[in-house]
Amino acid sequence: MNAAGEGAPVLVVRRRIAVPRDQVFAAWLDSESLAQWMRPGDCTTATVTVDPRVGGGFRIVMDGPTHGAVEHYGEYLAIEPPSLLSFTWISQPTEHRATIVTIEFEERGGATELVLTHRGLPAKAVEGHRKGWTDVVRLLDEALTRAG
Amino acid sequence: MLDLVYGALADPTRRAILATLAEGEANVGSLAERFPISLNGVSKHVKVLERAGLVERAVHGREHRLRLNPEPLREASMWLEHYRTFWDARLGALETFLLDKRRGGRPPSSGRGR
Repeated sequence: MNAAGEGAPVLVVRRRIAVPRDQVFAAWLDSESLAQWMRPGDCTTATVTVDPRVGGGFRIVMDGPTHGAVEHYGEYLAIEPPSLLSFTWISQPTEHRATIVTIEFEERGGATELVLTHRGLPAKAVEGHRKGWTDVVRLLDEALTRAG
Repeated sequence: MLDLVYGALADPTRRAILATLAEGEANVGSLAERFPISLNGVSKHVKVLERAGLVERAVHGREHRLRLNPEPLREASMWLEHYRTFWDARLGALETFLLDKRRGGRPPSSGRGR
């Protein structure tokens, strides 16, 4: 089904934001907006270009003292305002293979429930991120929960 | 190796076998009694788990004891944790950005009000 095949890891992150979903949705396709919040860790600047149409691409270069300039890019797979956005996500940590991010925006009485699913990242991406985190049981729990 | 791990985890019966082995060692026969599939079927699933390094087999005479080896899961879980942290933080920053904008504040590090 996905780019990296059945059984690749699937990550789901949720967040409720007290802003109507059309505004939350729009923030994902606006380069000035993205440049403000696509700055992980000690990243000082993010340079963003977007071509927000299905088949169009985006490019985000995150720059900071620790990792230098890290480029992330991809292509829009689905743009269905204000409820669904899907794009490929490619970078050095994904070994420049396409991974897929899908974001659902659910209406919650003037607020937004955002559900982000990131799937298909290659296994080797793990090895670049050895930080001593070793919660084995959690993955097993998640795998079992997904099965249910 | 991790592709084998993810492949092994993709099947619900194999996840259930892992969950059973997480409670303690078992042999193929006792596993087969717990699942509505044949001994042969269980044996095939166990082989997939062994190839992925998730299950180890100790042979005591005629008895084959199976044991969970959680080590391969560790790398998989580190990947998930890395990106969970990344997206959690990005969504937090998105929320801050949107709330600031709503209050008429200016986004940090942009000299212009919006």
